Amino acid sequence: MPVSRRSFLGAISPGTAAYSPAIVAARGREAFTAGGAAPTPRSEAKILLDSNENPLGPGRAAMEALTRAFVDAGRYPTNARPSMGDLREAIARRNSVKPENVSMGSGSWELLRIAVRLYTSSSRPLVTAAPTFEMPEKMADQLGIGVRRVPVDKDGRLDLDAMAQAARWAGLVFLCNPNNPTSTLHPARAVADFIARVGQESPETAILVDEAYHDYVTDPGYATAVPLALEHPNVIVARTLSKAYGMAGMRVGYAIGQKHTMDAFNRWGITFNQNSLAVAAAIAALDDPAHIEAERARNTEARAFTTRIFKDMGFRVMDSQANFVFVDIGRPAKAFKEDCARRGILVGREFPPLQKTHARVSIGTIDEMQRAGVVIAEVLGGGRPAPAGSVNEPRRPR
Amino acid sequence: MSFTRRAFVKTVGIGGASLLAARREAWAGLFQGSGAARPPRPLLLHNNENPLGPGEAVLDSVRRALAEGGPAGRYPFEHVAHLHQAIAEKFGVSPENVTSGCGSTQVLRVAVQTFTSPAKPLVAGQLTYEECAGYADLIGTPVRAIPLDRSLKLDLDAMAEAAKGAGLVFLNNPNNPTATLLTGDAVDAFIERVHSAAPDALVLIDEAYHDYVTDPSHRTQAARAVKDPRVVVARTFSKAHGMAGMRVGYAIGHPETIKRLDWEGSMALNVAGIVAATASIQDQARLQRESARNTEARRFTIDWFSKAGFASTDSQTNFVFVDIKRPAKAFRDTCREQGVLVARDFPPLEKSHVRVSIGTLDEMKRATDVFGRILGVTARAA
Repeated sequence: MPVSRRSFLGAISPGTAAYSPAIVAARGREAFTAGGAAPTPRSEAKILLDSNENPLGPGRAAMEALTRAFVDAGRYPTNARPSMGDLREAIARRNSVKPENVSMGSGSWELLRIAVRLYTSSSRPLVTAAPTFEMPEKMADQLGIGVRRVPVDKDGRLDLDAMAQAARWAGLVFLCNPNNPTSTLHPARAVADFIARVGQESPETAILVDEAYHDYVTDPGYATAVPLALEHPNVIVARTLSKAYGMAGMRVGYAIGQKHTMDAFNRWGITFNQNSLAVAAAIAALDDPAHIEAERARNTEARAFTTRIFKDMGFRVMDSQANFVFVDIGRPAKAFKEDCARRGILVGREFPPLQKTHARVSIGTIDEMQRAGVVIAEVLGGGRPAPAGSVNEPRRPR
Repeated sequence: MSFTRRAFVKTVGIGGASLLAARREAWAGLFQGSGAARPPRPLLLHNNENPLGPGEAVLDSVRRALAEGGPAGRYPFEHVAHLHQAIAEKFGVSPENVTSGCGSTQVLRVAVQTFTSPAKPLVAGQLTYEECAGYADLIGTPVRAIPLDRSLKLDLDAMAEAAKGAGLVFLNNPNNPTATLLTGDAVDAFIERVHSAAPDALVLIDEAYHDYVTDPSHRTQAARAVKDPRVVVARTFSKAHGMAGMRVGYAIGHPETIKRLDWEGSMALNVAGIVAATASIQDQARLQRESARNTEARRFTIDWFSKAGFASTDSQTNFVFVDIKRPAKAFRDTCREQGVLVARDFPPLEKSHVRVSIGTLDEMKRATDVFGRILGVTARAA
């Protein structure tokens, strides 16, 4: 269903135009993290393929729970019913862990930043990939902590061997799996071997596995690192409800780890870092796994379609296990982004060191991807997008 | 199958003109039959919440936003600009003078993060809102905790003395938990003294309870903060605006200071809270009604304690701080058994004083009945 963002904004705050804070605010999490000006305000764009959001938003159960929670909007989230404590239990239930193994954040960004604070120092740097999600290295920069950036391999996969070497004497390794922005995955065995190797070679080094895109993975070789986090005091898994759960606007993320580790995270979290409406919505969403399965199927289909658009134009697309694709467009991402934005399509920002050749495009609905495909084909000059008729052949989402 | 907004609007039975007519109670009623029956809730007089919650216009904005715009699934940062614009308009300042946070607690934390260090301590009252001191402990910033004066007010002389070499001076006005107010003139003079003692230190004035103040000697420091890079004012939507569950606070200050306070960005703000706050800041009439409602219930509560022989401070907030002449813990535990929650211990006054939030007048009548039984007050006194 098309969503008129313009009419929404008009209803709330008529006549608002972009002005200076809007330049910061007019970006999704991704752009916000990286800095730099947005070419087009999001409210004026037709299709938002820049921040890896679920285009359909939360499921019905979540929205109904959210509106039920209005009666307690005046109560702190610990007093509201359901409460933050109830959400902690729902998260634990969903992941088959104990509530004491869960720490909650206002999105996983907060937990990523806490991990940098807890485990790095001036003598114990952060190890991260290039490119990967920038929040941990941004935090390290803010704190004046050193960062070792390990380039991804030619297929866009995290170079686990080089990262393990860089991990010696490091405070924290940030492992985004699947990796944003390259969309690639490491299977369960590779992650387990990496954790074991770092544990042996640099036992004091913590490893944060960011599984923001967990629910979009379809590769059968994949498994969550949650069991490893329960096993090792220095391993933490971060998750978010901003992606498949469609709740980027509601700000819910969580970490899973050993009790002692989570206690430390809890000390650093913003007081009342989740709002009462999000708490209710998140509980309902976590207790509705069928909705997430349907969302995964929907994304998988749209992802295959999007991949084909680019491949048909002759561009190489990395093997995506997320709700975005990373494409070798053979030209700078900046110009591509700006050209798309002028035509009402927002795509991902620059991702150094691959910003001269690669672009990230989030997966919207099939309808959105069809329309975006036409624009992208125009911008990239080459061939044509896939014929519209072919969309109807594959299976429908459940 | 995926959920759509139109289906959402249908499901909840609203849309178009009926949006505006939908009452909060009616809205809640749509769902009350479907859930399991909930046990009765105690009277919540322990966290200084507004017992009525947000106004209907505010909740209508959220309904409309989520139903029509579907922004729950989108990162909300663009909406933050609209909130800052609305706040700026309310204060007659520019959006560069405004930043926001996940409650004012985040604003307070970030101020400690960016203006203090192991070499630049925090100065705060010994009995004041603890967020700043708590965060200072986390990051290794020393805290100079200055005892209250005999009237349970922040000791401005001693705090100004202690400001030398400090990075941040925290002034909660009115002060939580003592409920007491410092006059506008006193705060003005204090700021001048801190500036001369510590030219680099930021004075953070937490005006969380501003909208509940009735004493005409009160003045917000917002106008000064806009011009003075070493003063910033924090406010919250959690108190008179009735939005504690929605987690929005903000700061007003000089653009230079506001920029520094953007340390964590707007990542922690949620779209429902942002939309609600944007609507609420424009609804001055409701704030005035809420203040009047609170003033009446506060008067009733203070009078009841007074007639019963227990003195309260001159509350300018939505809670009272009462000398019950016995430890708060035993009182609190007994209250809980009888269905009333009152606040935690506040050392060093936990052996004599209790903080009680102001609910509705009806709630305060029920609560004082319970207090009377526990404190051994006869019907005559009440």
